[in-house]
Amino acid sequence: MRPLDPVTSKQRLAYGLAFFVVFVALWSWATFGGHVSKVFLANPLTMVQEGVDLITKQGFLYDIGMTIWRVVGGFVLAAIIAVPLGLLMGAYKPVEAFLEPFVSFARYLPASAFIPLLILWAGIGELQKLLVIFIGSVFQVILMVAVTVGATRRDLVEAAYTLGASDRGIIRRVLLPSSAPEIAEILRLVLGWAWTYVIVAELIGSSSGIGHMITDSQALLNTGQIIFGIIVIGLIGLLSDFMFKAFNAWLFPWRLA
Amino acid sequence: MTILKVEQVSRTFPARHGNAPTRALEPTDLTIGNNDFVTILGPSGCGKSTLLRIVAGLDRPTSGRVTLDGREVTGPGADRGMVFQSYTLFPWLTVRENIAFGLRERGVSEAERNKIADAFIRQVGLSGFENHWPKQLSGGMQQRTAIARALANDPKILLLDEPFGALDNQTRALMQEMLLAIWERDQKTVLFVTHDIEEAIFLGSRVIVMSARPGRIKAEINVDLPHPRSYKIKTTPEFVQLKERLVEEIRTEALKVAEHA
Ligand SMILES: Nc1ncnc2c1ncn2[C@@H]1O[C@H](COP(=O)(O)OP(=O)(O)O)[C@@H](O)[C@H]1O
Ligand SMILES: [Mg+2]
Repeated sequence: MRPLDPVTSKQRLAYGLAFFVVFVALWSWATFGGHVSKVFLANPLTMVQEGVDLITKQGFLYDIGMTIWRVVGGFVLAAIIAVPLGLLMGAYKPVEAFLEPFVSFARYLPASAFIPLLILWAGIGELQKLLVIFIGSVFQVILMVAVTVGATRRDLVEAAYTLGASDRGIIRRVLLPSSAPEIAEILRLVLGWAWTYVIVAELIGSSSGIGHMITDSQALLNTGQIIFGIIVIGLIGLLSDFMFKAFNAWLFPWRLA
Repeated sequence: MTILKVEQVSRTFPARHGNAPTRALEPTDLTIGNNDFVTILGPSGCGKSTLLRIVAGLDRPTSGRVTLDGREVTGPGADRGMVFQSYTLFPWLTVRENIAFGLRERGVSEAERNKIADAFIRQVGLSGFENHWPKQLSGGMQQRTAIARALANDPKILLLDEPFGALDNQTRALMQEMLLAIWERDQKTVLFVTHDIEEAIFLGSRVIVMSARPGRIKAEINVDLPHPRSYKIKTTPEFVQLKERLVEEIRTEALKVAEHA
């Protein structure tokens, strides 16, 4: 091993898998070896059995579907508002000066702290769940998009002006396309965070979703189900991240060329 | 008919961080007539880019004014095409789309755009690269695309700010010949900035020598070499003589800068 020496893609895969082997081995050692009580940590086999039971007998697929819909719904809502607003802030300095202080402040408000308030306002229905995701994502996206758009290469903007571009043309044909890959990356990042908000939203006052299942299992001391739920969240996150990446690469071929 | 008039244009950059204000350009007069190819020659930091950016409308003069065909320049516009020293192709557009950028902004139909773009692609020798991304092009090819992009807009005057400054010698010589061939055929009004003496003489019908900081025009020399010019002209006695004269002019300026530095 030397600093910054690259690894081949085969080696990368092998190392990545090795981690999980080591992880499961340690887990098995701790549980099957009786080093940790069953009450606190289920062993891998129980976890798998509980998982199969969840999916086949307890309608867990419906919970997964509900959770995905909430994340995607709240996230899309946030993106629809945040991307144009961020673009405007990045492009027009007065808009930025007007909104930036508030957005910077709002960004630090923890979405989970809003849950009690949102329950008061919107009840415990779907709207409340979407709003948690929305609040957790929207300010982050606005700010990051504004920074990205504001950092557009000035020489490209100047070149467009000398080619006769109008202000509208600058926004639509320079600021937007030059920031688009970054914006897509921002959305990918924030989608990851949205996953953590949704689970918290489902832990409190919910009758469906992965987070709800986890709270139920806790009451029954079923650590196998809890761990299975957590792993499912991780897997879905990984999958959505992968799809987002592939989609971005397909959308912006000029970056890879 | 195109006439560009620069009248008593000066530029002082305001003081920043306790530094004194920078007088980049002393009041300068310059007139460029129809189909002129004027080169501006000067050591780096003498205000060449500042002057060109003011003509392009990308910067405002501290005093004086620029007029193009009698109309005062107040901002950038399609009538003054610009080629920058840095690579400024839009990375998300292909070569063809880059060249058609200005046409599209004016609402020219796609078929018409592509026809015009393809004609310029041929002219700058990039056939076969229509659908390449800028990232896939060499520096010389990128600058050729940038020239085609400016020309496709059919500007009244073409402004070039050391467009070949970052290229290697062989490529630069080829690019000079290409640009000159376009000018010889299409007769454009061109204002070309460079710090390379040979380049200034080879391309220009008139060379304007600028002095070091604060920048101002120091001398103006007509280049009466016949057209069409090929690279061979660079070794003729007339060329060498002009070069010696300009070397002398530039040298005194460069020395002044060195003394003050
Ligand atoms: N935006 C700016 N702010 C402050 N000083 C500047 C700015 N642009 C250029 N200058 C200064 O003006 C002088 C002339 O610059 P420039 O026109 O770029 O020279 P050239 O193109 O001949 O190399 C330099 O001293 C440079 O530092
Ligand atoms: Mg310069």
